[in-house]
Amino acid sequence: METAKQETITQPEGSQLVTFAPHVAGVVILVILPAFLSSYIQSVMTRFLIFALFAMGYNLAFGCAGLISLGHAAYFGAGGYAVAVLKLHYGSNLFWVGAPVGILVATLIAAIFGIIALRVSGIYFLLVTFALGQLLYSVAWNVSWLNTPGMQGIAGLSLPSFGIAGFTLNTTSFYYLVLLVSLICFYLLFRMVNSPFGRALVGIREGEARMRSLGYNTWLYKYIAFVISGAFAGIAGVLFGYYNYLISPTHLGVGTSFLPMCMAIIGGVGTFLGPVIGAAIIIFVELFASIMTPERWPLILGGLFVLAIMFAREGIGVYLWRLWNKVSYHYGSIKG
Amino acid sequence: MEQVIINLLNGLSYGMVLFLIASGMSVVMGAMNIINLAHGVLYMVGGYVGWTIAVKLGAPFALGLLTGGLAAGFTGLVIERGFLRHLYRQTNEQVLLTFGFVYILTNLSLWVWGGWPRMPFTAKVLSGSIEILGKAYPKARLAIIFIGFVLAIVLWWLQDRTRVGAMVRAGMDNKEMTMGLGINLERVFSLVFFVASCIAGVAGVLGAQLLGVYNALGLEILLLALIVIIVGGVGSVQGALIGGILIGVIDAFGRALFPKLAMFTMYFTMIIILLVRPSGLLGRRV
Repeated sequence: METAKQETITQPEGSQLVTFAPHVAGVVILVILPAFLSSYIQSVMTRFLIFALFAMGYNLAFGCAGLISLGHAAYFGAGGYAVAVLKLHYGSNLFWVGAPVGILVATLIAAIFGIIALRVSGIYFLLVTFALGQLLYSVAWNVSWLNTPGMQGIAGLSLPSFGIAGFTLNTTSFYYLVLLVSLICFYLLFRMVNSPFGRALVGIREGEARMRSLGYNTWLYKYIAFVISGAFAGIAGVLFGYYNYLISPTHLGVGTSFLPMCMAIIGGVGTFLGPVIGAAIIIFVELFASIMTPERWPLILGGLFVLAIMFAREGIGVYLWRLWNKVSYHYGSIKG
Repeated sequence: MEQVIINLLNGLSYGMVLFLIASGMSVVMGAMNIINLAHGVLYMVGGYVGWTIAVKLGAPFALGLLTGGLAAGFTGLVIERGFLRHLYRQTNEQVLLTFGFVYILTNLSLWVWGGWPRMPFTAKVLSGSIEILGKAYPKARLAIIFIGFVLAIVLWWLQDRTRVGAMVRAGMDNKEMTMGLGINLERVFSLVFFVASCIAGVAGVLGAQLLGVYNALGLEILLLALIVIIVGGVGSVQGALIGGILIGVIDAFGRALFPKLAMFTMYFTMIIILLVRPSGLLGRRV
């Protein structure tokens, strides 16, 4: 975040056109283009948006407050399971019911786990959130109420309905629904990160003792950040439940918890858009690898992590940002 | 009464495997401030190699233990020397890197050993059983308890009574000061990491007799190790021993008394410990 701010200031006046080029490109890629693409690509884009939302919410706790959680799939999966249970046991597919219930369940679980996990800090926080996430995993595995008879997980989900007669969602309109929700969350998170609350979180990450002596209740700040981040994971989970038609214990497990974390790190932890870039990289590498060699896909993903850590430690998003600044500075100065 | 003793022995043998896997990870975490999520996968590598040597090739079990331990040890050494060495004090990066190795090693072992799970096996030396209070009890489990205790004593002696152990403990307290005294901490840390990985591999071969070896084992055993570390406290062999035995015994009694809740007993233990004593039973500091 800090580097980003400093580097924008050095940008000269009169480079408006160039400055807004990435924004325009973003709008074109996210809003206009999908309408003309095949439904398969649309569904990949939907997946990307859901995970970008998950990773951005995660980054509120991880990047801002410095809470290394390896159990965020618990809240993600809880959102998905809420939608799935509503469909399985109550036959309801309404978005207006599923979304609030899913977010509420995820937030509640985050609130309970937060109390337990925030007893410790640092690496130990990671251990505890990991173990708590696996606790939900084994609950989902063992409680028959949370499983479709004869299998692990709940299948047979569908895209949400809005209770409006004659209006059903298809892949394209669901994509735009996810886009709309992501943009709202994006805005909320952006405001939150740039509010006094967000600044205080960064302060706590950098020097908790100092913030405490300044009179901040650091525990409460961290707790709120953790719960909010869990709520955003819940939103992503609700969308994912509708998107995937199937929710299984894996979606509560460590493999899923790990995704937002590596998206944030690969994209750049300290940046706001880093997790989005990370999500794009992971989702599209996943797509590519699963087409080329489905068997060896974990090997490629693991190799990507190792390479990213060894050669792009600050995050690929940060490098892209610097590259972009160079480009815009260069062309901006010619114009100005 | 017999049932209680049998459960206690079951719990102890399981707890010993848990202790072995957790001890290395705990000391690495405490001494080097490194979180190695690939530790469970090293256990799995040890288990697979031990299975290949002791069951497929029919070599003596001791050789299986040795090769399993060394295979895991050298894999660990490559990870530390090649990669983790550059990432001291960078927790995020360590997590991402070691989890990358979880993916890589899991997939490689799937490649080499295939997807079918290896059933728990009993080494020829340890087959048969011993009468305890009129009930037959498998020798293999008793051997695990015995080996576990021997290794616990060796590790404790290494930690508390040797020069290297003193260097590690000094490095834990104040890294700069220790290095200022002319101690090559980096080499000491590599040694610690190597020994920890070896112990994980040995634990894999021993544990294969109780749990078998399969592909998802790396993450499952990692979770158990983390619970043991949380309960016992980070950074010491004693903590891992107490935690391992406690979790093992609680799990065994949980399975016997409330089979339906068996999976959750260790989570409950962990949560209670966290609420009462966040640093673990014998933890240094959190």
